[in-house]
Amino acid sequence: MALLACLCALYAAIIVPFASYMRSKPFAEKLGTLPTVATLKFMSADQKLFVGSSLVMKVIIYFGGLAELAKNRIIIPPDYPAMSRTIHAAVKLDPYNIDAYYFAQAFLTWDARQFTIANDLLREGMKYRTWDWYLPFFIGFNYAFFLKDFDSAAQYYRKAGELSGQELHISLAGRYMQEAGQTDHAIAYLTVMAKGARSPMARKTFETRLVAFKQVKRIELARDAFREKHGRLPSSLHALIESGYLADKPVDPYGGEFFIAADGKVGTTSKFAFKGDDKQPGNKGGTKP
Amino acid sequence: MKAIEISGLGKTYKGRKGTRIQALKGLSLDIMQGEVFGFLGPNGAGKSTTIKALMGLIRPTAGDALILGERITSCTARRNVGYLPENPSFYDYLTAEEYLTFVAKSFDVKGNLLEQRVAESLKLMELWEARKRPIRSYSKGMVQRVGLAQVLVHAPEVFILDEPMSGLDPLGRALVKEIILDLKKRGKCVFFSTHITDDVEKVCDRVGVIVSGQLQALDSVENILRSGLEGYCVQIRSGVKRLDVFDGFEVLRTHDPFVEYMVPAARFNEFMALVGHHSAEVMFVETRRKDLEAFFLEIVEKGEA
Amino acid sequence: MLNLVEITLKSILRDRVFHGIIFSALVFLLIPSVASLSMRQMTELSMNLSLSLLSFILLLLALFLGGTHLWKDIERRYTYSVLTLPISRSSYLVGKFLGIAIFIFAVACLLGLVAAGVVVFSSGIYPPERPIAWDNFVAAVVLDALKYILVVATAFLFSSVGTSFFLPVFGTICIFFVGSASQQVYDYITAPATTDISLFTKKAATVVYYLLPNYSAFDYKVNAVYGVPIAGSGLLLTLAYFAVYALIVVALAALLFEKREMN
Repeated sequence: MALLACLCALYAAIIVPFASYMRSKPFAEKLGTLPTVATLKFMSADQKLFVGSSLVMKVIIYFGGLAELAKNRIIIPPDYPAMSRTIHAAVKLDPYNIDAYYFAQAFLTWDARQFTIANDLLREGMKYRTWDWYLPFFIGFNYAFFLKDFDSAAQYYRKAGELSGQELHISLAGRYMQEAGQTDHAIAYLTVMAKGARSPMARKTFETRLVAFKQVKRIELARDAFREKHGRLPSSLHALIESGYLADKPVDPYGGEFFIAADGKVGTTSKFAFKGDDKQPGNKGGTKP
Repeated sequence: MKAIEISGLGKTYKGRKGTRIQALKGLSLDIMQGEVFGFLGPNGAGKSTTIKALMGLIRPTAGDALILGERITSCTARRNVGYLPENPSFYDYLTAEEYLTFVAKSFDVKGNLLEQRVAESLKLMELWEARKRPIRSYSKGMVQRVGLAQVLVHAPEVFILDEPMSGLDPLGRALVKEIILDLKKRGKCVFFSTHITDDVEKVCDRVGVIVSGQLQALDSVENILRSGLEGYCVQIRSGVKRLDVFDGFEVLRTHDPFVEYMVPAARFNEFMALVGHHSAEVMFVETRRKDLEAFFLEIVEKGEA
Repeated sequence: MLNLVEITLKSILRDRVFHGIIFSALVFLLIPSVASLSMRQMTELSMNLSLSLLSFILLLLALFLGGTHLWKDIERRYTYSVLTLPISRSSYLVGKFLGIAIFIFAVACLLGLVAAGVVVFSSGIYPPERPIAWDNFVAAVVLDALKYILVVATAFLFSSVGTSFFLPVFGTICIFFVGSASQQVYDYITAPATTDISLFTKKAATVVYYLLPNYSAFDYKVNAVYGVPIAGSGLLLTLAYFAVYALIVVALAALLFEKREMN
């Protein structure tokens, strides 16, 4: 009896540090080394869909946890290559899983800046989800906003319009097809996404980004007003606030600092993403499928 | 009518490294309807092999056998056979009642008759109180009694019982003997294996002794007992003045005033004449013979030599 | 034979291992909350998880029942008392198989209803983008049941010759994995683009493919979850394949069991 009590006490003493150790384990370590897709397919036998979904779920929960921490100003760099590997394996097992594409679009583009890989993945998904307008819509946006390939963008937006029957996507195709309209484009896109988002976590992600772009829009409007009056670009964001064009200092929800570049473009040091450890695109080759 | 006809039955097992083990060597045996046959033999003599072959559990490598005229290779040969395996075990998740119903149904017993037979055999084997309990909860003796009940439940013509008395207490053994005698009265054929000679002596008509896969002896119990007669033990009261008239006979015991003599069968009349002549008083006469056990041991020794 | 089916069903229902496995069906209750983690496909995910759990439970049941049922009868020497009844060994084996098959099918239907309940519940909270393809769902559940009945048949084949439960259980698991992947391998090897494989290997692979049970053919989960249409003729062919293959395997098992020595 006493021994059992001792052991229970010992367990109580050890469980909290153990749990916190497990929580702080890097994602790649938590996931373990993923077997090759062929092995995974063999091992999962008739549970491919389940294994696929659980891989996606793993990534979502992991990323959700990081976002939660970021809200509390604790920034842990996400392991983008591991996330990408996992998502790629997941769609091999369940090529219909929209969560995988949806999530890949969210982190591969804005955060990991792997636009081509994202588009390849989405195009693969289009072969299966032939009814889904989200996939061409994502590809279109990536072409226009990130890759500046407006012809391809228009083509995919049209496809999205055909599938959804919504004018919005066709008009999106036309409306923002030039560099100048980028911020409006992003805001329009994010508004669509936030409205369609069902899970609170997804909606929060889009709304955060939307807040950031609305701030950018506010700065751009102030900058344009300044240029009209003074015939030159403001020297800095600070100058805009001082001269009263901006009522208050815009706050980047990603924790970065907004700035006005020499060519007048508004940017932020956060690059609209929580700090990752893989900021330079394609540097580690880890996002290969 | 022949109930069981075994002709030249042989079974050879392949052992390791190409060795062959002959468990049964050309056994031939006929058992009549209405006969109780005891199959005697030491452990490993081939009793179980013979019975398993008869019941279609193993395939003989030589010879053939018929039960009620049907070849044992077909399952129809077992249509009229009640079989009790050695140390039996039955689906223990079923109750005795369910198990007996299952067995009776397998033998195409139907309707009222089925219910009646199940109840009868449960009561006969004193399992009535326990009939709603799963067999799992039964004692060893109770399981053996379930085994006997499932033999009786479909009222077959031929009974093949492998060690039916094992695992039973004296009361149970007496009950089994009684049942076998009752079956005999009703003209059934009972073929049972045992290594306990006493059982055979009490209930069997005929007995076969198998040693090392070969039938060594086959005779009626009566013949065996008669041929084993050695003589009589006669006790007299020694009111006789001169005991030396019996000098030619072996004294077994003296217990004043009684004396016991061993009298060979051939000299019995002579002895009795002397008794009459000298007006001795005979207290009792007891038959002295080699019992089946001695007969059995003799044959086993001979067979193994 | 009906008698044996009845006894078999009784034995399954009174087995503690079965109770344990059925207890795991309580996991169904967790599915809606797990599915709510999905970003865009709560209904799809809950159907996916429900069907996966159903498959998993059926797999456990098929392995446990198919792999140990005959073995247990032999191991516990029930065969001495049962096989000596006036029933042929074939009808004993077929009776047992039918009992388990009926049981698997009944459990699949029951759990299918539970799964449908879970899906309806989830779709009530987060309406799906596309209507739920209930006909595909039914097809997926029924074919899943058939697949595991086929698994039981292969387990019986191993049981009819095996002397312990190792061969039936592990042999069946191996066949299950290989049979689930055989289509993939076959597709890869026989693809015209595959040139670095010798003709002999291709032929051998084809023979193996024809011999092994094709379990992936019974997987209609994708069609159920994502509403991908099912070709009617394909479904009929699959049913015919099941019937013929299961009959061959059970007949072979019966033949081998008929020859077996019960020492």
